[in-house]
Amino acid sequence: MQTSENHPRVQNDLGPDSELVWAIVQRDRKATADFVAAHTDAVYAYVLRRVAPRNEVAEDLTQEVFLNALESLPQFKGDSSLRSWLMGIARHKVQDYYRDRLREVALDQPEVEPAVEIPFEEWMNEQRLEQKVKSTLSSLPDAYRYALLWRYWEKCSAAEMATRTGKSEKAVERMLARAREQFRRRWLDE
Amino acid sequence: MSSREHDELFERLADEVESREDERRAPSRLKARLYTALIAREAESGPLRSLSEIEAEGRKLCVFEQLVQIAPVGQTAKSIFYCNVCHARVLAEHFENPPIYWPNCPYVQLKNE
Repeated sequence: MQTSENHPRVQNDLGPDSELVWAIVQRDRKATADFVAAHTDAVYAYVLRRVAPRNEVAEDLTQEVFLNALESLPQFKGDSSLRSWLMGIARHKVQDYYRDRLREVALDQPEVEPAVEIPFEEWMNEQRLEQKVKSTLSSLPDAYRYALLWRYWEKCSAAEMATRTGKSEKAVERMLARAREQFRRRWLDE
Repeated sequence: MSSREHDELFERLADEVESREDERRAPSRLKARLYTALIAREAESGPLRSLSEIEAEGRKLCVFEQLVQIAPVGQTAKSIFYCNVCHARVLAEHFENPPIYWPNCPYVQLKNE
């Protein structure tokens, strides 16, 4: 971590986060505690949603997000809120995690598409929808769960996933098709 | 159903679930470990801000930090992270609701009530 004598606090252009950011850069332990207290819940909740049911992974990634943020804080310009900036780091960490997990998977299996449509529509107004989706995702093998979360929750295109994992786009699309099929089966089985 | 239609269906499902999810609280032992790790990282790059400077800015110190603050020692000694040897840290890093209650302790601040 670098200290910054000419940090933007002096320029007073960091908005409402100015004092906190400046104090953390000065290695102020109380400000650091405020930083953790103010933002850990939001970062952890986001990361956990993306890697559940692996709580231990969510904890490790949350810690990486904050350590990364601490390193980068002297460059924080205040273009967005501190929370938004942190969530941006969290998104990158989660996507890096997906990339690393999917790189390990062989994607050379045949294409498959669901034979039957998934009856999502009837669930859309259900209070239990969130729980149903979570339990279905949790029951999937890790690679399928991460592929679906990356593609649909993180809104990453198959082409981008292919580039980042070093696989072909066709292979990623086949994997997504298999993941959707597994999701459908488990959705109907529950 | 085409691949595009499958995509749209899953995109809708993801949006629907995302809009419903509440913010969950992080375990307090995670917050405690995180705080310790951040301070350790800060200390690697130089001395922590001294307790005198922190107090001068109107921040409250815990009872042990106050003892250090009034002790006849130099600023270097007042920059040390004494929480490392405090049982409050150990308890906070290992228990979800640690029995620590004294005011102005950072680990009490990070405890989920």
